[in-house]
Amino acid sequence: MTAPLPSTPDTAERAPCGLLAAGQDGIIVRINATMCGWLGMPPEAFIGKKKLADLLTVGARVFYQTHCLPMLQVQGSVAEIQVDVPHSDGTRIPMLMNIVRRQYEDGCNDEVAFFITKERRSYERELVQARRTAEAALDARRDAESKLLELNAALSQADRRKDEFLATLAHELRNPLAPIRNVIELLKLQLPATEQATKPLAVLERQVGHLRHLVDDLLEISRITMGQVELRRTHVTLADTMQAACDDTRPLAEAAGHRLHLALPDERITLDADPTRLMQVILNLLNNAVKYTPPGGDIWLSARFEAPHAVIAVRDTGIGIPQESLPTIFAMFSQLTPALERAQGGLGIGLALVRGLVELHGGAISAASDGIGQGSIFEVRLPAQVADAPAEPAPAAASAAWAGQRRILVVDDNIDVTETMTMLLETVGHHTATAHDGAQALAAARSYQPDIVILDIGLPDQNGYEVARQLRATPAGGAIFLVAATGWGQDADRERARAAGFDLHMTKPIDFGTLQAAIATLA
Amino acid sequence: MLDAGPARHGCRMDVIKRNNIHVYGSGATTLVLSHGFGSHQGMWQHLLPLLADRYRIVTFDLVGSGHSDGAAYSRTKYGSLHGYAGDLLEVVAATCDGPCIHIGHSVSSMIGLLAANRAPERFTAQVMVGPSPRYLNDGAYVGGFMRADIDELLDSMAGNYLGWSGSMAPTLMGVVNGERLGSELESAFNNSDPAIARHFAEVTFLSDHRADLPSSTTPTLILQSTEDPVAPVAVGDYLHAHLAGSALRMIDNVGHYPHMSAPGKSAALITDYLEHFNG
Repeated sequence: MTAPLPSTPDTAERAPCGLLAAGQDGIIVRINATMCGWLGMPPEAFIGKKKLADLLTVGARVFYQTHCLPMLQVQGSVAEIQVDVPHSDGTRIPMLMNIVRRQYEDGCNDEVAFFITKERRSYERELVQARRTAEAALDARRDAESKLLELNAALSQADRRKDEFLATLAHELRNPLAPIRNVIELLKLQLPATEQATKPLAVLERQVGHLRHLVDDLLEISRITMGQVELRRTHVTLADTMQAACDDTRPLAEAAGHRLHLALPDERITLDADPTRLMQVILNLLNNAVKYTPPGGDIWLSARFEAPHAVIAVRDTGIGIPQESLPTIFAMFSQLTPALERAQGGLGIGLALVRGLVELHGGAISAASDGIGQGSIFEVRLPAQVADAPAEPAPAAASAAWAGQRRILVVDDNIDVTETMTMLLETVGHHTATAHDGAQALAAARSYQPDIVILDIGLPDQNGYEVARQLRATPAGGAIFLVAATGWGQDADRERARAAGFDLHMTKPIDFGTLQAAIATLA
Repeated sequence: MLDAGPARHGCRMDVIKRNNIHVYGSGATTLVLSHGFGSHQGMWQHLLPLLADRYRIVTFDLVGSGHSDGAAYSRTKYGSLHGYAGDLLEVVAATCDGPCIHIGHSVSSMIGLLAANRAPERFTAQVMVGPSPRYLNDGAYVGGFMRADIDELLDSMAGNYLGWSGSMAPTLMGVVNGERLGSELESAFNNSDPAIARHFAEVTFLSDHRADLPSSTTPTLILQSTEDPVAPVAVGDYLHAHLAGSALRMIDNVGHYPHMSAPGKSAALITDYLEHFNG
């Protein structure tokens, strides 16, 4: 038995979905029984009275207006729009809505189908909720990450400030060392050569030397961290540098009762390196060995070629390094605590400095030790090559012969510096005058007619480069031997000094021996 | 033609890419068209052919909408309409030599107002299509909405973005003076990220720029639909009363997109108003 086929109007009227039609003005012109039943109101409540948008909640209406209507306009239909439609009792029924816009000659109708989606909606709500939770978690993570980034930025800012502070500190500590050294030199010349006089002087000289060394290391490491060090690379024969470093260290090593062994490589190893920095690396390692080896120990300096590197090794029979300290030994301020007990002091920057310099050269450094009391070995690997040609003989150093009396103008805003320097210069037979700023210096150059001017770069009224340029521009200025004295000793300063017309650049505190030697070479 | 001129931030090419800028037509006067909430520059397609024969026209997508550079979206920057106003000034700087006329739909009316207040020399006049300085009712002020309505809207958006179907993509294409509209119009109606869409909805519907109205010195045309569920007539009246030198024109239209549903009337009112500023 088959059921009778329902009529088409009846099918539409009783369809398992809500159907309605609205005219061009949006006003509902037809609505089926299913929809009326769902909303709890008779067709008369809708037809000719309400618009499609009126069926929706205010929020859904805005969405319909802003998102659906334009699309209906463009493409003539929209599908699966979720809306809430209020029942006459105030409850809201979640529905899906499909709209088709039918064009007629004199206008258009919007034909709409609704489906109730309670089950589906509650499931989707869960999905939305889950998504929100996930997004909140993601937001929280993003917040945490951005806080971490801020913290990182603050830390690196603090780190930069620390580097700047260290550089300034070193610079400031260095300034008073100049007059102190001058006075020591002066006293050495003036005091009788009795043990009573020379012994305390030697102590003073040695301690000032240590102090200068520490301050130099500090300055150097802060400049390396701030990326301010530029290498002045040249062709360096490793053996020469090793020999010089050994010669320099020998008095210190012998004073501590150590035996210093030098094993030069068989090949002629050459490097493209900054000779001063390379020397600094080897000296620091040797000094370290001297410091951390109990009296009467052995220290070896050797080198070998392992293509394409030169391996420079410094070994000692010293206190050694505990295994757990090996990874951090090259970090700044990482001095081993036992060393403090041994009253060796130091800032713990020597090895950090060495590593910084080695890395600037594209090399690497490593340390090894069998443990406490077992000695240690430091190996520096630097890009190198083996040369076949024999070394060119080094030019003979100019002999520091007495070259007669000079008229020397000393310019520095620190009166202690000018006074002690002039005393020193006069003690060795020169004639001196002083000035404390740029204007005074230029006036003194005119009236005093010096042969040599020692000019501080950091003058209160104008910088020394400018003073130098003006001096050079005076009629007598061309013949003056101009010495620049700077607190920073940077390579860039050297370049600037040369460009400004200086004959010689010296880093404060000025080494009197070097200065004397330079003066002596003047014709 | 686009000519080189530095944008206020970043380079001009960055702005062009960020805001997906397109230029149509030619004319001594440039119209810069900013779309509204929930849409993109494609919504100008019915109006464009009616204006492009006498004006040079710049359209673009707000960051976070249409085919703008989604990576440029920042909740901080776009946490207020001022972020969008800054972008609009960059779009103007990147595309116009001299002052332009801004046509903003919906929320972009207020974005235009903020931009013109900041740099009045860049704007000869502005047209506001369905504007509202505040959507929420506030005491005697009738914005048309309560807070709960906005929450419903956000809810609707969340549900619909979740089940957004491919059938939502418009397929019609516009042609302006034989020039095919940008291919971006072929793609989805609104391809923006649901989180961005929600944020934009919050920023838009919770904004209040009534205090910015007295600062405006730019001549303004307000296009008000006779029945706009988003920006009721009362709001158009309020704007007209508080914007010195403004003209209010009613469009016999139901809906928030008169430039879509009544493009002819919209274009006529706009060109009529702009007559005063030609040459």
